[in-house]
Amino acid sequence: MGRVARGDEAAFTELVGRYGGRLLGVARRLLGSRADAEDAVQRALLQCYLAAGTYRAEWAVSTWLYRILTNVCVDELRRRTSRSGQLEPPVRPEAPGRYLDLHRAFGRVPTEARVLLALRYVDGLSYGELARIRGISINTVKSQLARGKSLLRTALTKGGAS
Amino acid sequence: MKTLTDDMLKGYFQPDAEPGELARQVLLAARASAQESGKLLDRLAIQATVEGISLIRAQRLEKPATAGARRLVERAREELYEYFQGKRAFFSVPVDLSETPDFQRRVLEAARRIPFGEVRPYAWVAQTIGHPRAVRAVGTALGRNPVPFIVPCHRVLQTGGGIGGYLFGSETKSGLLALERTTPIYEGCASTHIVCRVGCSSARRMRPDNRVVFASVQDARSVGYRPCKVCKPSRAA
Repeated sequence: MGRVARGDEAAFTELVGRYGGRLLGVARRLLGSRADAEDAVQRALLQCYLAAGTYRAEWAVSTWLYRILTNVCVDELRRRTSRSGQLEPPVRPEAPGRYLDLHRAFGRVPTEARVLLALRYVDGLSYGELARIRGISINTVKSQLARGKSLLRTALTKGGAS
Repeated sequence: MKTLTDDMLKGYFQPDAEPGELARQVLLAARASAQESGKLLDRLAIQATVEGISLIRAQRLEKPATAGARRLVERAREELYEYFQGKRAFFSVPVDLSETPDFQRRVLEAARRIPFGEVRPYAWVAQTIGHPRAVRAVGTALGRNPVPFIVPCHRVLQTGGGIGGYLFGSETKSGLLALERTTPIYEGCASTHIVCRVGCSSARRMRPDNRVVFASVQDARSVGYRPCKVCKPSRAA
């Protein structure tokens, strides 16, 4: 990160190579489409590049990147909510067939729990890391994850029955 | 009927393939943004009365007469600076529209009600002030907006979605809308667990790595944050 802060473009390219795929994975699960995800990841990486000087060594690089990325994604979700008046599932589902129900169900989970679920399952982050990324307590992480999963379960059961 | 399993979740949440061009695109954008920032503000002159900001133009203006008015000009400049940096989602400095004709003032007040980051057609403004057929007059009134940015006339577009005219050119207008699309509205501090509107004075000392963006005050509350008493984010919605 120190090299990135000094404007070392090769170091930045290496950083993107290492984390880009996982950042995209999280953004795509949150925003639905690949195009929106790429846009969000680009904006997040731009912020990282410009703010590399404020990076503090006490942070794991991935935690810092995920914080910035989820900040961008959460705000993008806010904009969608304020446009339509309610949370809508992503317009064009791009999930493979067998995940379609899960994809729809995921769109109904409240934003905070959605973010935590995506981070937990795309990168297998620990409760501690999740807490750090969203600036919340470990207990809140646990309760949000449990709530999110139970909402998914309910939605899947209902979806399958109808 | 399906049951949720961890394997199912892991399968759904597989990471994506990393696109090769990503780093290069970001670096290009970084160079562009370094050239862009801060240019417009340097060109702006601001005038105020003791009541509030009365004129913002890209030309020489008389200096404000009183110390109170000068303080307001300083405050406006600071808020505009933060706004152009994407670090402010509302203006708290007062405006003085007392010299503005009645019809125009009503148009400007309607424009002020358009939330940050959103847009409305000229016809919406006309309807809001009770003159649904005065669309053209609304356009003229907005075009002469004495306090652009603070009264967000740039959020008013043509009905078909066309960008419409703007005091500083339509390129600046779409630039401002793009800026507002990428500026968050609510941010919390991870150490105090207080959620503010972006730009709140009490959040100024927040360290950048304590910044957590929320989609709504309700979301922030659901994970243990409480709304700031200074900027009252619940009222912004």
